[in-house]
Amino acid sequence: MSHLASKLWAFFCRDLQHEVSYRVSFLFQFAGSFFFVTTWFFISRSLAAAFQPPDELPGVSYFAFVLVGFAFFQYLQSTLNSFSSKIRQEQLTGTLEAMLVTPTPAALVILGSALWDYLMTTFRVGVVLLLGAGLARGFGEQVGFQVSGLPAFFVLLALTITAFAGIGILSAAFTVWLKRGDPVNYLISALSALLGGVFFRVEALPGWLQYISRLLPITHALEAIRKALLGGAGLAEVAGEMQILLLFSVVLIPLGLVAFVFSLRQARVAGTLVQY
Amino acid sequence: MSMMVQVEGLTKVFVKSRSLRELALRPFRRRERITAIEDVNLNIRRGEILGLLGPNGAGKTTLLKILTGLLVPTRGWGRVAGYDVVRDPTRVRLSLGFVTSEERSFYWRLTGRENLHFFGRLSNLTGAGLRLRCQELLERVELDDAADQRFMTYSSGMKQRLAVARALLHDPRVVIMDEPTRSLDPSAARHLRRFIQEELCGRQGKTILLATHNLEEAESLCGRIAIISRARIRIVGTLDEIRAAESPRDRYRIVLNGTLSAQGGPYRIVDEVAMEDSRREYTLEVDREGEGLTCFLREALNTSCRVVSCQRLELPLQEVFDRVVQADEEAT
Repeated sequence: MSHLASKLWAFFCRDLQHEVSYRVSFLFQFAGSFFFVTTWFFISRSLAAAFQPPDELPGVSYFAFVLVGFAFFQYLQSTLNSFSSKIRQEQLTGTLEAMLVTPTPAALVILGSALWDYLMTTFRVGVVLLLGAGLARGFGEQVGFQVSGLPAFFVLLALTITAFAGIGILSAAFTVWLKRGDPVNYLISALSALLGGVFFRVEALPGWLQYISRLLPITHALEAIRKALLGGAGLAEVAGEMQILLLFSVVLIPLGLVAFVFSLRQARVAGTLVQY
Repeated sequence: MSMMVQVEGLTKVFVKSRSLRELALRPFRRRERITAIEDVNLNIRRGEILGLLGPNGAGKTTLLKILTGLLVPTRGWGRVAGYDVVRDPTRVRLSLGFVTSEERSFYWRLTGRENLHFFGRLSNLTGAGLRLRCQELLERVELDDAADQRFMTYSSGMKQRLAVARALLHDPRVVIMDEPTRSLDPSAARHLRRFIQEELCGRQGKTILLATHNLEEAESLCGRIAIISRARIRIVGTLDEIRAAESPRDRYRIVLNGTLSAQGGPYRIVDEVAMEDSRREYTLEVDREGEGLTCFLREALNTSCRVVSCQRLELPLQEVFDRVVQADEEAT
C-alpha cells in the first residue's frame, strides 16, 4: 500500500474507531435527516399546487425537487464544516501538533481529517434520497428517480465533491488563521441556502440575484444533478454544468490548498498553531 | 556526522496581538514584540543527552518547537541530523521524535495500540512492519498488557510511556523530550529515566534533547546541561564545567578534633560549628590550586588539632541554577 493510501486509511480507521466508540450517537445521527425529510414531505404536499417544475423536468413534484436540493445542501454544509471543524477539534484536543511533527504533509493531514465526514455524508445523502423515495411511495406518490441518469449523476457527484472541497479547505485556512468565526463558512453556507436553488427555483429570484447565484457551485451542481436523477439526463446533456463544476474545482482546490499552507505558515510564525 | 543538533543565532520574536480597545484607541501604534529566544547557539553530539534547564517562560518550549518545525524562527538557523528545520522540515521530522508531556495529544477514546497504529502510519510505517514495530514498542515501554485498553483509562505514567513509544515509532536518530517525567510519580519517573539512559542513549545511541524543571533528573541523566534564562542560553557544559564557571573557589567541610587558632591565609571560613566532644566542623572556601587548603591544614596540625575528616563539597545544581538565573536577573 502506498504511503498516501496508507495515511488516508489511517484517518479512516481512526474516525471509524472514534465514531463507533459513541455507539448511540453513531446510530442516531440519521434521525435528524428522517425528521427533516418527513417534515418537508408534508410541507411539499401543501405547496404542491403552487410549484411549477423547471421546463427540462416536467412533472417533477416539489418534494422530489426539494429532496435533491436538501440532500446535496447537506453535502455542501458537511464539506464546509468538516475541514474547519476537524482542524478546530484537533486544535482543541491537542492532536494537531502531534500530527504535524510527523513526516505527513500538513495538506494531507487536512484532507485525511475530512475523509470520514465525506464518506458519511455520501452515505447520508443516499439514505436521505432513499428515505424520501420510500416515504413518497408509502403515501402513494412517486419521487421519480431515473436509472438512466445514474452515470451522469456519479460523474456530477465527483465533480460536486471536488468543487465543494476547495471551499472547505479555504474555510479550514480561515479557521487556522482566525480560530473562530470563519467568514467563508458563514457566507457560502447562507448564500447557497438562499440563492443556490435548494428549496426553490433560482428563477424565482430577482434577476440580479440570479446572476449572483451563478457564482455558487451549488447552483450548477443542483441543476445538473436534478436533470440526471429526476430527468434521466445523460452525460452530454449536463456537459455544460460539468465544465463549470470542473472549473470551480480547478480554481478552488489549488486556491484552498495555497491558502491553507499559507495560513499554517503564518500560524507557525505567530506561534498560534495550537491556540484555540 | 558528529553533531546531530546544531543551532546558531536562533531568535524568535512574537508579535503580540492587540485588543479591540487598543486597535480603536491607537490604530497606528506599533504592535508590542516579545522575544522568546535570542541568539541561541547550541550543538548536541551524536549519542549525547543534553539537558535544557530554565525557569518558566525562559524560552525552552519555543526552542523545542522550532527544532520540531512547529514554529518558524525570526532569525538564525537550526539543523537536526544535518537538515535545516525551515528548508527541509520533512527530513527533519523523519529524523526526530518528539515526546511531549501534553496528555491531550492522543485520541482518548482509542486504545493505546490504535493510537500507535494511527501515528505510525503518519510516520510512513505500513502493513506488517507497522504492526510489529507497534508491538515491539508496546513491550519495550511495558504497555503490552494494556495495549488494547482505551487511552482514557491509562494512568499518567502509562500515558507518558505511550508518548515515548510514539516518538520512537520511526526509529528517529534524535529525540526531543519536553518534561517527560512531569506528571509521573517518583517510581515511574525513575523507571522512565533508566529507559532513556540505558535503552535510548546506551543501547540505541540516540541523541536526546531533554527540557526539564527537574534538576535531579538533569544531574543524573545529562552529559551536558544548558541553562536558558530570559530568552538566552546563559551557560552550557558538563556539570563540572558549569560548577567551575559559577564557583571559581572550592568548598570543603573539615572536622577537626581541637580548636584551631586561625592565623589567616588564602582561605575563607564560611561556617564553624561546635560538635560534641571537642570536635569542630569548618566549612571552608579555598582556591582551586590547593594553596588555601594546604595552609589551613598546616595551621590545624601546627596547633595540635587532629584532622578527623576532610570532604570536598560539590555545589548543588540547584545552587548553580539559582546563581545563573539570579545573575541574569541582576544584569537586566
